[in-house]
Amino acid sequence: MNVWDVVELARHPERPYSLDYIKRLAPDFVELHGDRLTADDPALVGGIGRWHGRTTMFLGHQKGRSLKERVERNWGMMHPEGYRKAIRLAHHAAKFGFPIVSLIDTPGAYPGAGAEERGIASAIASAIMEWFQIPVPIVAAVIGEGGSGGALGMGVADRVIMLEFSIYSVASPEAAASIVWRDNSRKVEAAEQLQITSREILAMGVVEEVVREPEGSARADHDAAAAALDAALQRHMQPLFELSGEELLRRRYERFRYIDSLIKAEPQFGPKID
Amino acid sequence: MAVIDRQSAGVPIAGGKLPEILLPTNCPGCGVGLDREGLRAQNYVCDCGHHFRLGADVWIPIIADEGSFQERWSGIRSHDLLTWTVPKRYEEVVDELLSEGLNESVRTGTCTLNGKPIWLAAFDFGFVGGTLSIVAGERLARGMEQAASSGLPYVLVCASGGARMQEGVLALMQMAKVNAALGALHRARVPYFSVLTDPTFGGTAASLALLADINIAEPGAAIGFTGPRVIKQATYADLPPGFQSADFQLSHGQVDMVAPRTELRPLLAHLLELYGAPKRDQDRTC
Repeated sequence: MNVWDVVELARHPERPYSLDYIKRLAPDFVELHGDRLTADDPALVGGIGRWHGRTTMFLGHQKGRSLKERVERNWGMMHPEGYRKAIRLAHHAAKFGFPIVSLIDTPGAYPGAGAEERGIASAIASAIMEWFQIPVPIVAAVIGEGGSGGALGMGVADRVIMLEFSIYSVASPEAAASIVWRDNSRKVEAAEQLQITSREILAMGVVEEVVREPEGSARADHDAAAAALDAALQRHMQPLFELSGEELLRRRYERFRYIDSLIKAEPQFGPKID
Repeated sequence: MAVIDRQSAGVPIAGGKLPEILLPTNCPGCGVGLDREGLRAQNYVCDCGHHFRLGADVWIPIIADEGSFQERWSGIRSHDLLTWTVPKRYEEVVDELLSEGLNESVRTGTCTLNGKPIWLAAFDFGFVGGTLSIVAGERLARGMEQAASSGLPYVLVCASGGARMQEGVLALMQMAKVNAALGALHRARVPYFSVLTDPTFGGTAASLALLADINIAEPGAAIGFTGPRVIKQATYADLPPGFQSADFQLSHGQVDMVAPRTELRPLLAHLLELYGAPKRDQDRTC
């Protein structure tokens, strides 16, 4: 399987989306809406449900399946209101001591004029900074596409895991090709150069685990994929319950502050420190 | 527009002492032939108001009192993590830029501004488009951590295309790394002033650039998340004139002011006075 096959699997329209997982993890899920400022962003779903005996806050990018739903969900590309909604719900979770599960599946934040007018850059920036102050356990999982700052805005967590055929990238292969060569048709080449598959990301020390998908990938068996994700999320969440809020924040800070330390350890890689 | 207090209006601008830069023969703003010395004397701002892009080597003397800049961590360099080969080997790109005298996309250190000690970081657009890299992230995060514990006000000059493609997802992670440190800076209640110059985009805009206590944009600077070319490609939208300009960001609530470069030093000096003496460690740095 080459890199582009993985990209196509990660984007496959039959691949389970956030709500497909959330409804299996927490059948009593109650969706909550709105950023309490101006709008509700349907590209991000959020809400609470009981998961392994605890009320848990679920957040996730939601792509649509039918064309109509795709348009409504904006293909899982969040506007500024989405990041503000996420942080509102994160504070809500912190208030009641609910752990947070964040499912990442987006090509990126919405690259449109309206998003720019309403401050998408500072919305993402504030979200990234704010996640470091949410004193409850957070586990994030990349379930499909982890595209750029739009994904990272939902990806600051105590543990981050990836499904086997998901991708995580500094920019979508198309955007990277457009940036590097001013030619977005060189997307396959860009995907190869960027090293975006789950195992490559794991090797860089950016995620804690790659979750094996069922035979034929997650799209072939949504139930089995959800069971695998459930077990992995639970495995990473459990030890976090032992830690105080303060300790969680300290470790979350260190996780990202030294996220490139694997690279530094290798003499020909990374910054040499004087 | 910035209002300058009488007391700080006497702060000299660096002007004629700045390094020389490569300039076109005519101003891209007004088309008039350039008087190089005259231009240098007014911090590379044309009479028509066009602000020329500057590297970190010019920004540092614009902000810092003469001879006061003490650069930190200048010896760390980028390496090829992804065996990046096209269009050119990444290691080669870095070597070439270093040999031209550039030193990564961010340079940082301490200095004084009108006698007041500050922490200064300046992006360099000439180094792979001022892209956020592991080295840039490391220099920024360490500086913020040190400013948080020493209480030195933090001044940033931005000019960046976003995260550096050639360092892959680890470049993306620098946004979280830097914003973690930025949170510590804010919690230490250390003043942070961000000067947004042309261009400030992508991962840099979506991390530290717009989260300052005071955001100051240069006239004419383009500031945004997604660049206009990509927006047009993705949405087929016609973008109005002035879209993502400094004035656009002012009217959309993203920056506190648009201030010309000739007034920047007095403005920063004045702000430093208003925000008072450096605060000592508040025991809340993390």
